[in-house]
Amino acid sequence: MEDWFFTEEQRMFRESLREYLQHHFSLEVIEHIEEKREIPKAIIEAMAEFELFCPMVSEDYGGAGFDLVTAGIVGEELARVDPTGSTCVYYLVPASWSRIIDLYGTEEAKQELLPKMTKGEIFCGIASTEADTGSDLGNMITTIKPDGDGYVVNGAKNYISGVREASTLGGGHVTLARQDLDAGVRGCTLFYLPLTADGIEISQDREMGREGMSTGGFRIDNVKIPKHYLIGEENKGFYIIHEGYEAARGIIACVCAGAALKALENAVAYMKERKTFGQPLARYQGMQFPLAEHWSKMMMVRDWGYKALRIMDQEKQGKATRFESSQSIAMAKLWAPLWAFDAINFSMQVQGAYGYSLECTEQKALRAVRSFGWAEGTSEVMRLIIAREVLGGTAWKGY
Amino acid sequence: MKIVVCVKQVPDTTDVKVDPEKGTLIREGIPSIINPFDQFALEEGLRIREQTGGELTVISMGPPQAKSVIMLSLAIGADRGVLLTDRAFAGADTLATSYTLAKAVEKMGEADLVVCGLQAIDGDTAQVGPGLATHLRLPQITYAEHIEMVDGVLRARRMIDDGTEIVEAKPPVLVTMTTPSDFVPTNPPFTKIMKAKKKPYEEWGAGDIDLDSSRLGLDGSPTWVEKVYPPPVREAGEILEGTSDEIVTQLIEILKREQFL
Repeated sequence: MEDWFFTEEQRMFRESLREYLQHHFSLEVIEHIEEKREIPKAIIEAMAEFELFCPMVSEDYGGAGFDLVTAGIVGEELARVDPTGSTCVYYLVPASWSRIIDLYGTEEAKQELLPKMTKGEIFCGIASTEADTGSDLGNMITTIKPDGDGYVVNGAKNYISGVREASTLGGGHVTLARQDLDAGVRGCTLFYLPLTADGIEISQDREMGREGMSTGGFRIDNVKIPKHYLIGEENKGFYIIHEGYEAARGIIACVCAGAALKALENAVAYMKERKTFGQPLARYQGMQFPLAEHWSKMMMVRDWGYKALRIMDQEKQGKATRFESSQSIAMAKLWAPLWAFDAINFSMQVQGAYGYSLECTEQKALRAVRSFGWAEGTSEVMRLIIAREVLGGTAWKGY
Repeated sequence: MKIVVCVKQVPDTTDVKVDPEKGTLIREGIPSIINPFDQFALEEGLRIREQTGGELTVISMGPPQAKSVIMLSLAIGADRGVLLTDRAFAGADTLATSYTLAKAVEKMGEADLVVCGLQAIDGDTAQVGPGLATHLRLPQITYAEHIEMVDGVLRARRMIDDGTEIVEAKPPVLVTMTTPSDFVPTNPPFTKIMKAKKKPYEEWGAGDIDLDSSRLGLDGSPTWVEKVYPPPVREAGEILEGTSDEIVTQLIEILKREQFL
């Protein structure tokens, strides 16, 4: 049965993409990601060849002009072939934040940066989190001040994806800093910060998963940036940054669905083959009932993830409000990592002691999806957003 | 150069099962794909077009949903697509199919090169390509695994039992292509899929082509498939156990008993 939700072109794209990824992702690729803690160059080239870098950027700047639903398809399919989730992050972070440069950046910045980003030649990340402020953006220490023809930036960022990629490959991060120090989050400015600039010093963390993708922090010591790196208006960054986060959150829901459904498919194959006490595991209702629950939850997450992305697409067409987008995306992002973690954990449990071995694909996926309980907005912030819209009467009720 | 490539939508036969009572293929829920031999034919045709310039038209006969293989072909690089779709074409055997395709190719104007897959993976007849060449009165080269244009002549490399054979023919010519084991089909990215929507695409029914209606579909098909059935399931063989010497001794006993020795 074809999924009526997608257009004919999106269905054809998914089939084409799935075959393409299956051809390029092998066991050796996953081993390379885990052991060398990097994504192989051949995979990055293959992703660029298939227009998977920053694909929501308009074709005028070298992008593929994806809508958000199509961007979600890529997230889901990458998660099916890369249990470490590394390429999912390498895809979704630049995809979501280059879109913000495309929507709100200056023409000069778009022409300078986007053609390179869409070819995968330079990285595009997001830097808002600091050591003492994750969700509490109004208390960031990083500041930006006008300085001559541009700005000067000081401070430090932490838990940032892609610091190694942006400092070695080239590129930078869409960065949030305080400008009007008396205005809290309403005094924050968004801008592009190249991580190759003088005055940037990066450090790297070791995380429990997503091994092929770097995470770390950077100190910003009197870094000068040109005026055209401003994104949107001064002191209005807080309003824009949500659009980037929400695109990423919606894609993350699709990533979680892809990872968990693939894990459940692997569990089903094992349950049919493995016999205990004279019959396959799949014959036991004790196995069937949790399988049914996890499968149902992940299919619901998958559907809602795409629906939330479509609501965001509709917002751009004036058919949905900012509130409706935020709340719909938050609903998908709240449950996707939590339920995916449980579903993958079940898939590990089914496989007995092998489930705990490092060889087991599912334990890689478990460590990857756990990160999405924090990344691009914590589960707690998702609850706050949903409650805010429901209590405020601005929630989308489905009619 | 004017190139025509014939493609067919087929069920993904890795999943196909036969209904043991009705004797028909169970197609429900089976994904449809482009016949793999035809995709190779298309990509070889595109390579020739790159070499010589010109236009490549892809043609298929089938139900309306076969449009998807035309759209895929356009996304891969074909310039124009034509789907022959009409209830009058239904039930055609290889003779009626090749006749209908030939009349459509004639309507397009004279083709310099017609490229077909060796066979469709659902029927495995390998007759439509040669049939089409016969109807069009074209020379044909079958079982080619590589083609190129050399000084205005089509050179084809054919797989034969004891090696390879190089055959040349002056266009117009029809070639059927077999797929080399290392062939990796092209997967079009999103922008090419979207651009395919803007390429010329037409659907032709029986009324759009100059043809003899008595030679179409079931009425024009001398071949009737009486029954389709799965091959009988083989019984499990006897497994010999023991050391190598013991197994060899047992095996010789069995071969003698069965009068092979």
